[in-house]
Amino acid sequence: GSQIRSCQDKTFLPHDLLMARIAAVAKKHGLEGVSPDVTRIVSHATQERLRDLISKLSTIAEHRMEIYKM
Amino acid sequence: AQGTTGGPSGGVIDRRRLQELVKEVDPLEQMDDDVEETLLTIADNFIESVVSSACMMAKHRKSNTLEVKDVQLCLERNYNMWVPGFGSEELRP
Repeated sequence: GSQIRSCQDKTFLPHDLLMARIAAVAKKHGLEGVSPDVTRIVSHATQERLRDLISKLSTIAEHRMEIYKM
Repeated sequence: AQGTTGGPSGGVIDRRRLQELVKEVDPLEQMDDDVEETLLTIADNFIESVVSSACMMAKHRKSNTLEVKDVQLCLERNYNMWVPGFGSEELRP
């Protein structure tokens, strides 16, 4: 049959703080509830976003160092 | 530099977690304080923007509750990002 793989259980961002933050935004938009898995996906997406930025910055910084070496 | 917690706008992301992530990407990388600060701000804005558009998505489908699928749709459309591993949602090819 099909196999379901999940991403890691430990979240990148602190669950309670993130939950409070999301609930505040949701309330501002007039929503009443937030599904519990929302914090996990937001945490994971933020981690991926940062990981992508950091690896790009790291490449750019390496290029900058090459110029000094010449 | 500030303490271990929080971005400039009292964000949810921890400075130490950010440093761990940097080490994960490149163990030899040194990052200036102001670069860290900027990344924390970017992360903060990212959360705000994703959650806000997800809320609009939820409202659009006339729901009272923010759900994973709202966030997934925003990430896919605005950031070309697909986060797998949410077994409660229907499987997609």
